[in-house]
Amino acid sequence: MTQPAPARGLDELTLGSAMRLEELVDRNGLAELARSFFELFRVPLRVFSEDGKILADAYETPSLYVYLNGVPGARLALQEVIDSVKAVVPEIGQDATRACVTGAAYRVSAISYDGRRIGRMVLGPFLPPTVREVPTSLLALDGGLDPGRLKALLSEMPRAREETVGQLAAHLVRTLDLILFSGHKALLTSNMHLASVRASFHDLQAKNAKLEEAFERLKELDRLKSNFLATVSHELRTPLTSIIGYGEMLAEGIAGELNPEQQEFVQTIREKGEQLLELIKGLLDLSKLESGTMSMRKANLRIEEILEDVSTTLAPTARKKGVTLATRVQGSLHALWADAERLRQVFLNLTENAIKFTPEGGAVELVASPAMLDLSSDPEAGGFVLMATQRPGVEVRVADTGVGIPEEERKKVFDAFYQVDSSSTREAGGTGLGLSIVKRLVEGHDGTVHIESNRPRGAVFVVRIPAKRSTIA
Amino acid sequence: MQLDFSARELTIKLVYYGPALSGKTTNLQALHKAADPASSGRLMTLETRDDRTLFFDLLPLTFKSSNGLAVRLKVFTVPGQVIHASTRRLVVQGADGIVFVADSRTSETQNNADAFMDLRANIKESGLTLRQMPLAIQFNKRDLPGVRSDEEIAQQAAQGREPVYLAVATRGEGVVETFLGLLNLTWSTLDSQHDLGKKFGFDQTALLTEVAAKLGDTRSLEAILATCVGGALEVLRPEGSST
Repeated sequence: MTQPAPARGLDELTLGSAMRLEELVDRNGLAELARSFFELFRVPLRVFSEDGKILADAYETPSLYVYLNGVPGARLALQEVIDSVKAVVPEIGQDATRACVTGAAYRVSAISYDGRRIGRMVLGPFLPPTVREVPTSLLALDGGLDPGRLKALLSEMPRAREETVGQLAAHLVRTLDLILFSGHKALLTSNMHLASVRASFHDLQAKNAKLEEAFERLKELDRLKSNFLATVSHELRTPLTSIIGYGEMLAEGIAGELNPEQQEFVQTIREKGEQLLELIKGLLDLSKLESGTMSMRKANLRIEEILEDVSTTLAPTARKKGVTLATRVQGSLHALWADAERLRQVFLNLTENAIKFTPEGGAVELVASPAMLDLSSDPEAGGFVLMATQRPGVEVRVADTGVGIPEEERKKVFDAFYQVDSSSTREAGGTGLGLSIVKRLVEGHDGTVHIESNRPRGAVFVVRIPAKRSTIA
Repeated sequence: MQLDFSARELTIKLVYYGPALSGKTTNLQALHKAADPASSGRLMTLETRDDRTLFFDLLPLTFKSSNGLAVRLKVFTVPGQVIHASTRRLVVQGADGIVFVADSRTSETQNNADAFMDLRANIKESGLTLRQMPLAIQFNKRDLPGVRSDEEIAQQAAQGREPVYLAVATRGEGVVETFLGLLNLTWSTLDSQHDLGKKFGFDQTALLTEVAAKLGDTRSLEAILATCVGGALEVLRPEGSST
């Protein structure tokens, strides 16, 4: 996995060439600092970046300079001084001083960070206390200069001792250093924040991609499994049909009379063959349902008839086991638009199961009643009250008084080949396919199936199937 | 490493790695204290919570040799807590040498090992192998009860490749030694890769002795380096690298 680079590389921000002054310091803040310094000491202050751009300027042109700028000869001389001050590139920790024709001075200090110069600071012009008279050199600049006026204006100039200005400059440099350090720290922090968020995002993305890949692989495997099931079941069924057929012929004595013992053996072969065929049919159904190729032949039907039929079919089984089997219809039921054969399969399976798991003396009951079905998918998804649409339908409850199904198993029993307790099922017989087929068949009718507890014991399989739309009043 | 020939400047990145609370920041604080003010910049601590490093600490040290060469060392720590994996990865990238600060207490053995595995994975991810990375190991907190004995460490260190130093970082003991041990190793490795000695014309021993002096240790370099137990001090020539 490749590591995404931070917005600006950590190395670039810590190892690389000098940071830029304007990057580390807030320009408005710097201007405020300069202004407050000027108001306190009356010494003009200018801050320049390393490439000479002015970043802060706290300066009020002294009246002397305003006057001098109005006199051509003097203006030229002042410009020369300013140019020379601008050209000074002081070493770190070694301030440079430039004198002005007025007798005033400029002090230039280097601003550095991490041992590298990143800008400079100019203090001045300020007049050292030693300068009391108008310098003769100043008067010589232009014949039009008025000595009396010059003297008056000179006395208004900000005065400061050279050493004091040196101390002020040192203090400013230290203050700036702290500001630059804080700026650098903030810059690094924000970059690290950004970088670690990006790194985490990148990691998550990589994990998501892996999960997605795994999911796709599983889906493909599932598809392969269904195909495999379909193919194998089909191939198994063909020879099995022959086995059963020849078994039947043997049993009927076509190949000669059988003695009772042989009859019994052949009977066993047939029975087991039939059992195997059921299993294979189940597998085929399942794979068809999974691949969505199971065709439904839907027609108008009444659920009562189907339940009656199921009850009649299974009555002997129930009787043999000493289990009472009853069917009840409460209220008037809607007609369904359904595949009669498939629904019969559903209730045959559920009822057969119920009888199978109910001990002798118990009861299995099929109860059909009208019901309102919630057709929205999931109450958890939110907005249930807005999304829920109700549709009338039929609810059939297949209740037994068997061992029941623990809460946590109730969803899993509908998975193919899943059995709550494999030993009990093996004892009772069964393929582990029935319920998964039931669920898919019910879903094929837009219905639902779930399990509830029967009181005091046993389980209730609740099947709900919506009524045919046209029958809804 | 970054080289600036015109300015005769060399920037080297060193990283203090190790499990949480093993004393990485304390090592940097001790170095900062030991260094003469002209050589050391401010110790920058980036984001902490409850005295624990969240991003990293950074100590800039600058040594100007008598022949005008400026060696800029950027010493980093990483956050030890497991959850800061991505930060560690970012900091380790581009490191020229690493000190692994281990907690000497026997109860911390597993944490040390886990952090070392993490380091190995991070070095690998930055495209290097552990063998190519100059590495010194420090057993810190020698003053605490329940630590692995000197003999045990010496015995195991003798079988290992990396120089091992014993330290009590809170008292500054062993800190400069560890640092110089790593610097020596890193320098030798960089020299073998980039031929620094020839290009800049300096003497490694003289330079490192100067660095030691500026960190308040006036012993000979040999004496300082000899404080390590076990491991090798010679250049680890990266396999397959051409210089």
